[in-house]
Amino acid sequence: MQLKQRLGEESYIADDTLVTTLYVAVKLNRPLLIEGAAGVGKTEVAKAAARAFGRELVRLQCYEGLDESKALYEWNYQKQLLAIQMGSREGDRQSMKDLFGEEYLLERPLLKSIRSETPVVLLIDEIDKADAEFEAFLLELLSEMQVTIPEYGVVRARSLPFIVLTSNHTRPLSEALRRRCAYLYLEYPDMEKEIAILTSKLPGLDEALASQVARAVAWLRHSEKVSKKPSVAESLDWASALMALGAQELDDESCAQTIGFALKNNDDIREMLSDEEFIRSLL
Amino acid sequence: MKNSSGACCNRSAGGCAGCADAGTDRRMESNCGGHCHHHRDSARPDSQIKQTPVGKLSGFVGFLRAQGLSVGIGETEDALQALNLVGFEDRETVKAVLRTLFAGSKAEQAVFDRCFDLYFVSEAAFQANQAAMAQAQQELEARRRELEERLSVQGKPIDIRDDLKDVYARMPQSERDRLKDVMDDLSERMKHAPKLYEGFIRSVFMKSLLEQQMLLEDAAEGAAQADSDADLMFRNISGFRDADLPRAHALINQVTRRINGEIVARRKRTGRSMALDFRRTIRAGLSTGGALCRLRHKPRHSHRKHIVMLCDVSASMLQFSEFALRFIKSLSEVSDHSEIFLFSEQTQRVSPFALQNMDLFGDYVRSSGVWGRGTNVGRALDAVLSAAPPVLTPNTVLLVLSDAKTVGLDRAEVSLIRASKAAGSVIWMNPIPEAKWQYLKGPARLRRHCSMVPCGTLEELARACQRLISG
Repeated sequence: MQLKQRLGEESYIADDTLVTTLYVAVKLNRPLLIEGAAGVGKTEVAKAAARAFGRELVRLQCYEGLDESKALYEWNYQKQLLAIQMGSREGDRQSMKDLFGEEYLLERPLLKSIRSETPVVLLIDEIDKADAEFEAFLLELLSEMQVTIPEYGVVRARSLPFIVLTSNHTRPLSEALRRRCAYLYLEYPDMEKEIAILTSKLPGLDEALASQVARAVAWLRHSEKVSKKPSVAESLDWASALMALGAQELDDESCAQTIGFALKNNDDIREMLSDEEFIRSLL
Repeated sequence: MKNSSGACCNRSAGGCAGCADAGTDRRMESNCGGHCHHHRDSARPDSQIKQTPVGKLSGFVGFLRAQGLSVGIGETEDALQALNLVGFEDRETVKAVLRTLFAGSKAEQAVFDRCFDLYFVSEAAFQANQAAMAQAQQELEARRRELEERLSVQGKPIDIRDDLKDVYARMPQSERDRLKDVMDDLSERMKHAPKLYEGFIRSVFMKSLLEQQMLLEDAAEGAAQADSDADLMFRNISGFRDADLPRAHALINQVTRRINGEIVARRKRTGRSMALDFRRTIRAGLSTGGALCRLRHKPRHSHRKHIVMLCDVSASMLQFSEFALRFIKSLSEVSDHSEIFLFSEQTQRVSPFALQNMDLFGDYVRSSGVWGRGTNVGRALDAVLSAAPPVLTPNTVLLVLSDAKTVGLDRAEVSLIRASKAAGSVIWMNPIPEAKWQYLKGPARLRRHCSMVPCGTLEELARACQRLISG
């Protein structure tokens, strides 16, 4: 309950399942794998958790081609070359051991998170976009909380980071990775939660307007005709746009003016604005 | 889900809501009411083990494993540790904790929820269930008696099987009244020809009951199919209702997205050619003072499949062809310039751009003039073979979407042999289940000259499409 309250103080509306899952994952020091449709607020969980625990957030955004030199460490080649040249001039040949010392190590997010003196929240965002090799490389970190750098040795975590992985499920993740993680599937928030999010993030928003936006967004998410479902951030944008226009309610006119904040596809917009059922649902 | 003694299976497996959330025997008694299996057997040492939280958790883990979830010892230890932290009092919290640790995907969560609700029945739900079952049983008994009292022939109850008595008892009130009216009407006439009418009444009665039995079975099947996405994946495409179509289309998008993701991942794994890219290697070497520490290779060119699709749009095949086309067109490995031919008795070549919006496929086909006729595979194949410039080359895959029930089977066979020589390969997606092919002339003969794959369900269709692009 304390955790729920702390998340609430950080303007994150969390249900009991999410709080329990977060609590268990932190207590067992298990990485938390969060899956769900794009825009349900997976990344936000990590951000809110970092704020609620008072920890620094270290973020690693995954993409195709991400490798350990960008995620874990890289040697500072220029500095190494300079050291070799200076050493040879002074007649003092640098040993290989010195060249691959801490002085020449460039920390990337993963290494930074485990070498931090105080525990951090490590967000590995959109892990499904990285290659399978990178996923395999992560296993050592996730299960042993250590990484191996061939020239340097094993780096053990000074403090245990709380690791959050998110995935949009564009490709299936390996069983090995799943087995090492606690799992949470996030659905789009229900009406009640959406209204709470809107009113908490946009303090000046009229509650009636918030409930209209929440209802319209829920309708759009359930409609099979909409190819790109509006995310929570987009429903916030939509409500902000209505506020900026000074709209008192969401009617067909204000909807036509602002629906581009919720739907980002011309076919979807055209389809919805000509859908009588949708327009009726606004009133 | 009941055993012979009437106890729920979860109880016989050694768990119940009370027991799961009990830290002590006293609490267990208060929560599960003492009716779980192991309370009756508490003198036995194994049941004593089952009463401990570890025993109950391990019983549940065993149940989950039997349902196909892979739960390891490490996870079970973690679960016990987590439950000690959050306490055993609140059922929903216990469920959330165990689900977090035992289910690793959305599909596994669905299995877990079902297992948890079966295994750990809350006391209130158990009592409510017992009461509802007792009431339903009483109602059934009353209706069986009503059958004997209301529906008799010349004062004698109608002699029917017990299972049909149950059908009568489950029939809606309106149907039972209708049957009674019919019986009353016939009983009046029976006075004139008792023997003739006795048999007649019985046959009318039996027919009504059997019809009702079929309706009940259909309803049960419908309820079973209503309907997770997984069910839709494994249902025969020809049985889809109009209401299922939007969900089926969404499912197809979801599955093709996954297949495309897998292909990208695989291409990344194997996509590097062995040819060195000198320009990029030298550039990368600049950061190491000219030492070529990191070699860069030229990416392997991806060869998208050029497919010639021959879609059967005779009346029964339209739905299947539409689904298959939706699948194939969404696959990133399929060339945008793939050719599409629609055929029934006639054949029509379609510009790929005409079918960019698959929502209009049905309308397009209906207005094309080829829809709704018989099937002539031979003529269609000949049309493809005689297309100018030639569309079938050793680099193309000819994909036929049809049930292979065709007129002019001899001609179809000859044309298929010619087509298989002209094209790189011929794949035939057939919506008829494979087990039936041997009894049908068309599939039995044509499959010898091509690779025929069963595609009766979305799942089979997805698998066939995956094979199509990876093969």
